[in-house]
Amino acid sequence: MVLTQDLRGLLGEEHVLETPLARHLYSTDAGVLRGSAQVVVLPADARQVSEVVKLANRYQLPLVARGAGTGLAAGAVPLEGGIVLATTRMNQIEEIDVENQTAWVGPGVINLDLSRTTTPMGLHFAPDPSSQAACTVGGNVANNAGGPHCLAEGSTVNHILALEVVLADGTITTVGSEAPDPIGLDLRGILVGSEGTLGIVTRALVKLTPNPPDVRTLLASFSSVADAAATVSGVIAAGIVPAALEMMDKAMTVAVENWLHAGLPTEAAAILLAEVVGETDAVEAEAHLIETVAHSHNAEEVRIAQDEAERALLWKGRKSAFGAVAQAAPNYYLHDTVVPRTKLVATMAEVYRIGERHGLTMLNVFHAGDGNLHPLMAFDARQPGMLEKVQAAADELVELCVSKGGALSGEHGIGREKRDLMPLMFNEIDLDAQARIKEVFDPENRFNPGKVLPAGSRCFDLAGGKLPDGVWV
Amino acid sequence: MTSIKAALANLVSQMRPPESELPEAELVAGPATIEELAHLLAQANAAGLKVLVWGGGSHQGLGGRVAPDLLLVTTALDRIIAWEPEDLTVVAEGGVAAARLEDHLGGRGQTALLPTQPLQATIGGVIAAGISSYRRGRYGPTRDRILEVTLVTGDGRVVRGGARVVKNVTGYDLPRLAAGSLGSIGVIASVCLKLWPLSAAAATVVVDDPERVAALVYRPLAIISTRHNTRVYLAGTEAEVNSQIGRLGGDGQLGHDWPADPPGGMRWSLRVPPALVNHALTKLPSTWSYVAQHGVGLIEAGSDDFEGAVELREWTEAIGGALVLVAAPDEVYGLIDPWGTPPATLDLQRRLIAAFDPGRILNPGRLPGGV
Repeated sequence: MVLTQDLRGLLGEEHVLETPLARHLYSTDAGVLRGSAQVVVLPADARQVSEVVKLANRYQLPLVARGAGTGLAAGAVPLEGGIVLATTRMNQIEEIDVENQTAWVGPGVINLDLSRTTTPMGLHFAPDPSSQAACTVGGNVANNAGGPHCLAEGSTVNHILALEVVLADGTITTVGSEAPDPIGLDLRGILVGSEGTLGIVTRALVKLTPNPPDVRTLLASFSSVADAAATVSGVIAAGIVPAALEMMDKAMTVAVENWLHAGLPTEAAAILLAEVVGETDAVEAEAHLIETVAHSHNAEEVRIAQDEAERALLWKGRKSAFGAVAQAAPNYYLHDTVVPRTKLVATMAEVYRIGERHGLTMLNVFHAGDGNLHPLMAFDARQPGMLEKVQAAADELVELCVSKGGALSGEHGIGREKRDLMPLMFNEIDLDAQARIKEVFDPENRFNPGKVLPAGSRCFDLAGGKLPDGVWV
Repeated sequence: MTSIKAALANLVSQMRPPESELPEAELVAGPATIEELAHLLAQANAAGLKVLVWGGGSHQGLGGRVAPDLLLVTTALDRIIAWEPEDLTVVAEGGVAAARLEDHLGGRGQTALLPTQPLQATIGGVIAAGISSYRRGRYGPTRDRILEVTLVTGDGRVVRGGARVVKNVTGYDLPRLAAGSLGSIGVIASVCLKLWPLSAAAATVVVDDPERVAALVYRPLAIISTRHNTRVYLAGTEAEVNSQIGRLGGDGQLGHDWPADPPGGMRWSLRVPPALVNHALTKLPSTWSYVAQHGVGLIEAGSDDFEGAVELREWTEAIGGALVLVAAPDEVYGLIDPWGTPPATLDLQRRLIAAFDPGRILNPGRLPGGV
């Protein structure tokens, strides 16, 4: 095939994958949707990415960029075929600038590798999604990823100073700067979180955060979810924004404890994991205050991690929770929605009701401090009608959160998964404005077509709208 | 006057802006609701009028000069719409003075971390001009805390982006695009901002060497140098702040004694990589006054003329920064480009603005590159 020859000429034989296995592997992400990659390319730098973009233009093929494929919203799934561009080889941590607390990194750098590399220098990359051992900085940028510690530090966008990006015509440009407040429109801000629909990031200048001198990690258990949720609001009302404030319900705690054996209180209806960082005087005072608030909301037990090993164990339980679900059922559907913090109690009650109504096991582990819910439905996809049931429940969950004044997604992105739910939050004028942004960056709808914006957002049919055969949403 | 202009004059006469000192323009309007604002801009767009958007007038020196047909005053959009202390969010209209909002929030120990000087600066103006308070050293710039924005575009569309929650990735980040846009993608009708609790204790300590501070204090609120001295601004629990004062070895003064604007008939914003602040100060003409934010990379400077500015700008741009003129007598803008070299993405910026303001009526020519 001519396209493949051109790509091989450009990137070398071994960096163009066309076997059925490769195409199969790169046709999905960590979610449940599957597309169809025509060919997979592994460029080494911006120049090669630019040439691939030009070839995609010449052959009029869609181009879908992907990092590690840990996304859950089908953001990296090639729904309309075409070229999948994996950033795997662009994995250099190029320049770490300790003085300026920044680093230029390739999009294929793994999130945790970045922090591991910079930790000895007293710095870390603050966004810490649960998938951080696998997910890439490029994927973090595309989805504006979060993680437990973005409660105090903010999502990825707060930690990106500049981006080198390949635009739809193949131009390589840089937006943003190491100096603050770059002049002109904040294109860096609009590119972060654009899910690969506006440009392909080939390098990122990340802001690194100083490692805190001290830390306290607390585990509080409650006999009701409402008490745990009220503690979250209570802590914020007491004037503390902890570094992290996470909640796990009983079903999830049991699943985690079964394999981790961390001594988690499996009898509790909900547990809260709170972390405060800073100078010793501050973390002691704040930890004490959180303890007091928890007790005022009937906490059964408040445990403070005594050493780094215990702290690491607690976090391991939190961050590997999703893997632990495998013992409950072979498949799971993990949701990501947001409600205002004050609506947590009411929303959680409804979440369980939705699960009961559909006969689904609902497990919860989430960023309570942000109001960022992650209801997880464990199921067996082999059971007839199960997928439809899960999808119906998932849609109800989103509608519930939006009705409480929330948002479709807090950190996972819209992708294809929630694309058609966008009208729940935005009217046609809002969506048209977003579609105009897409049109300015990518007039031929080359980059990651069919994502983020529903069909018909613009006056013309931008997204195409038709799903390939065999795809379910 | 065409009929559309006559209709506009009639419309404008019904939207009298609140009393304040305003520049001259053929038409002056102060819409009090978002619907009025949208109606007004749709009409202005149809008539092809150049519109200068005016909040408190505090940052009007930023960017190219605009000779407006219509002066659009936002200060009648002055409602604080919703405040949820337990959610740490507030929703307010663009014409609310930032100082008034901070005063309001302070009543229950919260802050939007907006600058409170000058007193008349509006939230919409502060965001549109991309201004942050000195507390950004610890908490980051204002643009990091805009959760939702409602804009009225140049052609009168009411466009909302973001949501009233502290964490959200639904759709493109319109709130960020509005920050620093100088009204070019729309007039900021209302915003939802992320709040922080105010700290229990605050202190200001004078130090000799700003570079030693980072080793002694974990992420202070700000480290600011002037020609007079360097001050470290602390905030936290009482025990924490007392211990920090001790470590800094200085006499702590209770509260935050923020510096005044650097004196001079011209004001500049010098933006450099954070570690180069001290180096940049050596490049500053010796007659210039300054307020330098260590760890941020922002130096506000004041001068009586622009001698030395061209050389300083050359040096700054070569290290990836910018020297921006932020206030000066009008005639100066004809002598020196207020922005310097425009960004490489100028064409993209121009097209993006056209998507929101097809007639290019909102603050035309104010952005870099005369956009």
